[in-house]
Amino acid sequence: MRTQYRLGIDAGGTFTDFVLADQSGKVRLYKALSTPADPTLAIKNGLALITEDLGVSAEDIVSQCDLCINGTTVGLNALIQHTGAKTGLICTAGHEDSIEIRLGHKEDGYRYDAQYPPAVMLVPRYLRKGVNERVISDGSVRTPMNEQDVRDACEHFLSEGVETVAVSFVWSVLNPAHEERAGQIVREMMPDTVLTVGSQLYPQVREYTRTSTAITNAYLAPILKKYVDSIDDYFQSLGAKYPVRYFQSNGGLAVGQAMTDRSVYAINSGPASAPTAGLYVAAPFKKNNVITVDMGGTSFDITLTKDGVTNLNKNIDFLRYRIGVPMIQVETLGAGGGSIGRIDEMGLLQMGPQSAGAEPGPACYDQGGTEPTVSDANLVLGYLNPDGLVGGRLPLDSDKAHAAVKSRIADPLDLSVEQAAYGMFTIVNSNMVNGIRRVSVERGYDPRDFVLVGAGGATAAHITAIAEEMGIDMIVLPKLASGLCAFGQIISDVKYNYMATAPVRLDNTAAYQRIDKLYKEIEAQGVEHLVADGFKKSKIAISRSIEMRYVGQVHECTVEIDKFAINSKSIERVKEAFHQRHEQLYTYSERHNDVEVVNIESTLYGLVDKPKPPRIGKGASPKKALKGHRKAIFSANGKAQKTPVYDGGALGAGASIKGPAVIEEETTTIVVQPGWGAKLDANGSYIIKRGKK
Amino acid sequence: MAKSKSKSKKPAKRTPKVDPITLSVVRGVLETTQREMTLSLEKTARSSVFNLAHDYSTALFNHTPEMILQGQDIPIHLGSLIPAMKAVSSYFDGDINPGDLILHNDPDYAGSHIIDLCMYKPVFYKGKHVFWTVCKGHLTDIGGPVPAGYNPDAKEIFAEGLRIPPIKIWDKGVPRDDIVNMLLTNMRARRDQEGDFNALIGACQVGERNLIALLDKYGVKQVQTCIAELLDMADRHMRSLIGAVKDGTYVGTAILEDAGHGFGDFDITATVTIKKDTCHIAIESPPQIPYFINSYEGNSYSGVYLGLMMFAQLPPPYNEGLYRGVTVDMGEYGSLCNAKPPAPHMNCTTTPMETLTDAVRLAFEKAAPSQVSASWGHANGCNIAGWDTRHDEEYVTMVLASIISGAGATPEQDGWHACGPECCFGALTSGDIELLEYSYPIIIHQYSLMIDSGGAGKFRGGSGTCWEVEPLDKPMTLITFGEGRRIPAMGAAGAASGMVEQKVGRLEITRNNKVDVIKENVIETINPGDKAANKNPGGGGFGNPLERPVDKIVWDMKNGLVSVNGAKEDYGVVITDEETLQVDLKATEKLRAELGRKAA
Repeated sequence: MRTQYRLGIDAGGTFTDFVLADQSGKVRLYKALSTPADPTLAIKNGLALITEDLGVSAEDIVSQCDLCINGTTVGLNALIQHTGAKTGLICTAGHEDSIEIRLGHKEDGYRYDAQYPPAVMLVPRYLRKGVNERVISDGSVRTPMNEQDVRDACEHFLSEGVETVAVSFVWSVLNPAHEERAGQIVREMMPDTVLTVGSQLYPQVREYTRTSTAITNAYLAPILKKYVDSIDDYFQSLGAKYPVRYFQSNGGLAVGQAMTDRSVYAINSGPASAPTAGLYVAAPFKKNNVITVDMGGTSFDITLTKDGVTNLNKNIDFLRYRIGVPMIQVETLGAGGGSIGRIDEMGLLQMGPQSAGAEPGPACYDQGGTEPTVSDANLVLGYLNPDGLVGGRLPLDSDKAHAAVKSRIADPLDLSVEQAAYGMFTIVNSNMVNGIRRVSVERGYDPRDFVLVGAGGATAAHITAIAEEMGIDMIVLPKLASGLCAFGQIISDVKYNYMATAPVRLDNTAAYQRIDKLYKEIEAQGVEHLVADGFKKSKIAISRSIEMRYVGQVHECTVEIDKFAINSKSIERVKEAFHQRHEQLYTYSERHNDVEVVNIESTLYGLVDKPKPPRIGKGASPKKALKGHRKAIFSANGKAQKTPVYDGGALGAGASIKGPAVIEEETTTIVVQPGWGAKLDANGSYIIKRGKK
Repeated sequence: MAKSKSKSKKPAKRTPKVDPITLSVVRGVLETTQREMTLSLEKTARSSVFNLAHDYSTALFNHTPEMILQGQDIPIHLGSLIPAMKAVSSYFDGDINPGDLILHNDPDYAGSHIIDLCMYKPVFYKGKHVFWTVCKGHLTDIGGPVPAGYNPDAKEIFAEGLRIPPIKIWDKGVPRDDIVNMLLTNMRARRDQEGDFNALIGACQVGERNLIALLDKYGVKQVQTCIAELLDMADRHMRSLIGAVKDGTYVGTAILEDAGHGFGDFDITATVTIKKDTCHIAIESPPQIPYFINSYEGNSYSGVYLGLMMFAQLPPPYNEGLYRGVTVDMGEYGSLCNAKPPAPHMNCTTTPMETLTDAVRLAFEKAAPSQVSASWGHANGCNIAGWDTRHDEEYVTMVLASIISGAGATPEQDGWHACGPECCFGALTSGDIELLEYSYPIIIHQYSLMIDSGGAGKFRGGSGTCWEVEPLDKPMTLITFGEGRRIPAMGAAGAASGMVEQKVGRLEITRNNKVDVIKENVIETINPGDKAANKNPGGGGFGNPLERPVDKIVWDMKNGLVSVNGAKEDYGVVITDEETLQVDLKATEKLRAELGRKAA
């Protein structure tokens, strides 16, 4: 860090988190209520909080920042609420409906319930215009493009008030000439329109995915542009020395221009910084296999990083829209502090995905909520402080929690309230464990090889129980947990993905040469962009991945490879990595069969200097930090035991606490289950480990 | 979250026998296990039918064997897996050992059609047989005279492909390569079939891995107690739904149209008798015929259960307990829906199954008026085969994109577009067109929704699709199957369409600018330069179309889903200006009144 501060601002559903790191290694966390209608308002409010705390004006902070980083939910909200811009699609004639046919299926398998609605179309059928043109599967032109069709489409869009246009043709990925020409015509005829060209945004095989990704990008681009412009202007008015960086769903930063051109990269940026933060807090303990879990008020987000490389998703349905571009794989469950417990039609206890949200909130918030939530269960179990959270600023009502659990869960199941609360705790943990399996076991990883990193305010009450269930031995829980994603953003690098498609069988020299050439081309392009962003070549890093499959298969395995020249010798290393990955995932490989490549990708990083890690001082011993005892429940029989409660803020580095215990931090409450022990490290993280049996 | 349309909102009364918390956890693990098996199949399988189209299913059974978890896969497979598992297990009774792996497809042992291959792996724990992991998938070929198995000329099952009774392909852990080699030697596109064998085996192993972990954690006894309770709960739930219907006998008859076999139309009748909380479903169908639309009993179970589920509308997960209060009589042995060897049957998973489902659905609609959704478009598709000069190899596949019909409207909303056919209920995916063109030497000129194809109703049926293809450089064989080419998908709650022709399926072949419309099952040669367009029916509507709000009809017109004529004939809406879609409200009111009188 060359200047005084680095500022990260992460907008969440309920709160916008502000993390301010300074040169001394001090990291401060502030929270302001989110203001979805005008996101800049929350930023102003947050800066006011900092001013109040430090006595430094917003101008002085911002002008002394080396980086101001913003994670935004503007794109996400527009996609959830269908408030994107009016979008037109220009596509190959005969294929106007691929985004509505959606490969002919419902995404939840077959479901018999009569209320399950189709996805809302981001571009209705009357704004999807076909053009006579055709490229075929070898990249050759079968039918030249009829330019008049493109002009007619533009006329139609102009008369309908379309603000943004996507162009996506069949096989443009092998021959983009028609798409490029159509794009030129759109620019000519609709100069005020934002344009998205499918093969430029997502140059990969799969027409449906590419078109859907292009449409989503187009739909969000005008909104992102407006937002970025207002933020950039605001920070410039405060005297920012450097452009604001925006956080992307791929887990890296981008400048505003990249964000508006490739707005689809912004849609799930909120939880995408968790892996970077997780690796950072686990690094002092020499761990680079990390699963992060982030439990807030309504949801539970999971990510996985193996050997420092984070699971990515490509070509998935996100909020019911097929998105191709790489995103950090975030498994999101409806399991937060506000998740509601209920007895389902079959008579079984279910937790979530419905949530009491911020309004009315859990029954114990005493704001009119009557449904029993996870927080209510945790209060009944003695995990949460009945005097209230956040140092008493959020009071809790134990009687209300008790009544809700009794009437909705305990009585119907014929259990005691304590047993029912423990059951709720168990089921929500079980849901979270099944979610963790989806990012680990289903991707071929054994969760026992990982440390669990906790983020979010509600996680700490559950994380030891989850680790116990999964057979994980070590947990890292930073004191900053509830703002960990914002912290992750300020230690992230700039990151851009460059893709190419190369459907070739790996049995001839021409194939190796083609792949080698494509890698060199896309990487040269990436270096050029980063240099333009102000990065020196020494601060640029590159990693590669390649998607392969056995000839005849349709789904690919993605394999990370090092950067080396691809030739007839080195290709054997690539193939071997594929066979091994296939075995790991699916229990077998077919070494005697031919392998083919489909897509390749290079990720380019512009490396950003990291702030100093936070340090904490000596502080008090556990004995001195002991606040008292309360009855807490750690078993299915509902029997309570006397459990020590510690003031986490008072504990010093090296303090060691044996479970069962509760440690109360300013913004989170840690429950250490029996058989586990917690130790506060000088880096500001609790290390929670399983005791010897 | 799925909500059940149960009439009694209160959960079924339960007597707790097991810890309710462990019960929920066990159910979650079973669901996760099945999900992981499905994912493994999807990612590894070779044939496009399999991995692009999701034409596969997975299930878990206990040792008895009772289905303890039905995957959220293709419904046509899963009803039949219940009797199939029982037939396979009793065939090897006393000789089921650790390390065995059993393969089967024969409908005489309750298989569906022989191109669906089933793999069964017994799961042993501490020497004791506890579970079966099972999966089933549609291969691209099963030998026989016609590529891809659908042979409209077959008079007997022997002319359709290889029948495989239950056989062990692993015996106590030892792979029987000679047997597998013999099977593969008799199939086209061997590499793909071998890959699909491996994918099925891999999925069974993934399931086994998870179930053993479950047993490690909770022990056999506790897990089995939980599973018994899960089965009981499903039973209680289905009984509570049936119990809410008035006792009585309800009859539904659906017509199976003649798709070129020359035997004429057939009636399939379902008689549903409801007595307290049980129901008996009796099927009547004509004698079997020497044409590939006979259904053996196992497959027919799928059709009956699907009709039942269109009534029950339950959210997953499903298990065999649902069917304990339901008895079924498939009719005379040797009839169309209860065929006996050597009846040819390859088309059975769509025809007559969807008509059978319709008959059951209609009987339940009579039992519970206004609660049952409309029928979906029936499958009317094609297989393609030929020579791929790009790799100098043969290709053959069923084209799932060619059977994507419209979904039926429900009591609450319009039917989904492009989501069918009925027998798959939206679980199928059709595959990306670029991947299809990459895998096969074809050009797909069109894959689109079709105007006026959704059944008219207060809630409109979903639109059917058109899939148009041309071979790249060599002649291609195109074989059609299915029906729904004359009789549109059945509406519900008084829905009917005035304009029928656009709502049914057909094949249109364009040669030298001349279009042939074909409404039968045929084998055609398509040359480069020719185009074949396979059109699929839309779904049935729900409720009186004259009650559909005019603004919804105008919106459909703006989006090219309803034509000016369609608005008039189907909905009684009169448009004065085709450009602006101006509605003549007075004329509309008059026409609607007139159509209403006519219908009455």
